[in-house]
Amino acid sequence: MRRSNSIGHLSVIIVFMSIMMLPLLGTLLYSISTSWSSGMLPDGVTFKWYKILFVEHRFLQAMMNSIMVCLGALILTLILVVPTAFIVFYYFPFLKPFMNFIILLPFAVPPVVSSVGLLQIFSNDVITLTGTPWILLGAYFTVALPFSYRAIANNMANLNLQDMLDAAHLLGASTFRAFFTIVLPNLKTGLMISLFLSFSLLIGEFVFANILVGTRFETVQVYLFNMKARSGHFSSAVVVSYFLVIMLMTILAGQWGKKQ
Amino acid sequence: MSFLRAQGLEKKYDDSLVFTHIDFALEKGEFVTLLGPSGCGKSTLLRCVAGLTQLDEGQLFIDSANVTDLPARERGIAMVFQSYALFPNMTVRENIAFGLKMQKVPLSERSRRVIEAIELVELGGKEQRYPSELSGGQCQRVALARSLIVRPRILLLDEPLSALDARIRKNLREQLRSIQKELGLTTLFVTHDQEEALTLSDRILLMNHGKIIQNGTAEAIYTEPANAFVVRFIGNYNLLSSTQAYQALGIKSEKQIAIRPESIYVREEGRQYADHVRHPVRGQVVDYLLLGNVIRYRVNVSGVELLVDLLNRSSERIFPAGAPLELLFNTREIREVDEDTQEAV
Repeated sequence: MRRSNSIGHLSVIIVFMSIMMLPLLGTLLYSISTSWSSGMLPDGVTFKWYKILFVEHRFLQAMMNSIMVCLGALILTLILVVPTAFIVFYYFPFLKPFMNFIILLPFAVPPVVSSVGLLQIFSNDVITLTGTPWILLGAYFTVALPFSYRAIANNMANLNLQDMLDAAHLLGASTFRAFFTIVLPNLKTGLMISLFLSFSLLIGEFVFANILVGTRFETVQVYLFNMKARSGHFSSAVVVSYFLVIMLMTILAGQWGKKQ
Repeated sequence: MSFLRAQGLEKKYDDSLVFTHIDFALEKGEFVTLLGPSGCGKSTLLRCVAGLTQLDEGQLFIDSANVTDLPARERGIAMVFQSYALFPNMTVRENIAFGLKMQKVPLSERSRRVIEAIELVELGGKEQRYPSELSGGQCQRVALARSLIVRPRILLLDEPLSALDARIRKNLREQLRSIQKELGLTTLFVTHDQEEALTLSDRILLMNHGKIIQNGTAEAIYTEPANAFVVRFIGNYNLLSSTQAYQALGIKSEKQIAIRPESIYVREEGRQYADHVRHPVRGQVVDYLLLGNVIRYRVNVSGVELLVDLLNRSSERIFPAGAPLELLFNTREIREVDEDTQEAV
């Protein structure tokens, strides 16, 4: 009984892992194949697509652009969300339902619709932000906002904020000091979830990037789109590289989290 | 002059009064308990004394200085919370040292005092552990050490033992009282547990509906209840209406009659009783409860049920259900009490 249960449980995990990993493994295999058209397996193995990719300035620039704009948006989000969540939870807990509603608003408007709106507002003679990373930073900020707020708010709800802050005050700490020495370190889990989730989401974002900045500030997704006609093997190498960057950032963030 | 003095304290949220007309004083080194049912305003009162909640009316004095408008961190008050309120990101040592760090106490002195505090609460060997690695009792001892290390003028305890299981609660209760006596700390303790209050306190402030109903020593609260609410809250009393008192005991009174179960005797052949032990009445055992060292009988006397506590000396003294008994009453312990006329605030 126990054995058959274990096999059943294991099968579920194997099916899940297969669904998650097979497309990626296929892409990886395609990116290192010389050609793959007639058989079950590639005709040969080569790293030439990566060699071409990693010396191409346009790709490296696009990757850098993506990372910079994503990190910028995340920093902006955290700077705004962490104090806001703290103020709501500590000083105005009655505002929590309102925040839960308002934070979901970015989901209400599809990216295509909001990017057209942004395009009209920020393409006039007074404010011209289209084609610059700044408009992407703002758009990405709204995309990351719900994920960041939810992760941080959930973490904050699990802290006994009122009593902890009261204890800190009675022991001589100001609210400012207590926030940095007690609240912030205890939000590590929420911050990590928020960063992982938002970074993965933003670096894969295409609609805002393509409509608002296009090739004037090319991100890795726009680059991938523009390179689609070049070669399937080359595009696969781009996708695998993009995935490796996400994995690397996740590992680095995980290591940082452990050290903290 | 009292060390802590509260004059005419009042607190309300919107239109609802939490407490009003609160006057009390604590002497230096005294252990006073704010006792009352849940929702009577005792925890809010404690928070107001700490400076964590603003008062609407009244004044607070510590050592003759008016501290009513002083921020919490400048009052020299420490507080232990029911939830422990430990900082999860800090070790036991860091938690305990936090207050000293805020006071910018030099590192060498800080280390010495942390070691002393850890010894005081018997947490040696746990210095590097995080709160999540400690039991509830250990967490509360860390919280106590963290409060004591800053050498507060007044220690406030907000139901610190409520979240602990019975055995740990009893041990920690004794430890708490012995540390308080050793350090001579002026302490204000909040609880809804009358046994805890009676065991620990030099004095009890009994609250109900946002008002102090009785202020007295544990003995006075127990033996001379101010009204029917105190009788009911302290528990186990026989509280008889004037009709029941006349029906069962032949006592004529306009008020209610309160009799403690342990002040009722079962007459034994050949035993001499003091003059004030009289009022013999006959009754019949309904049932009994074994409470360890005490056996609590429910006795029917002329249609009125009375609780009678007898020491559990030997199995021979257990009277079975239906057994006839002759009861005697310690007349000095029969109290006339008024109904609690305090309205909810």
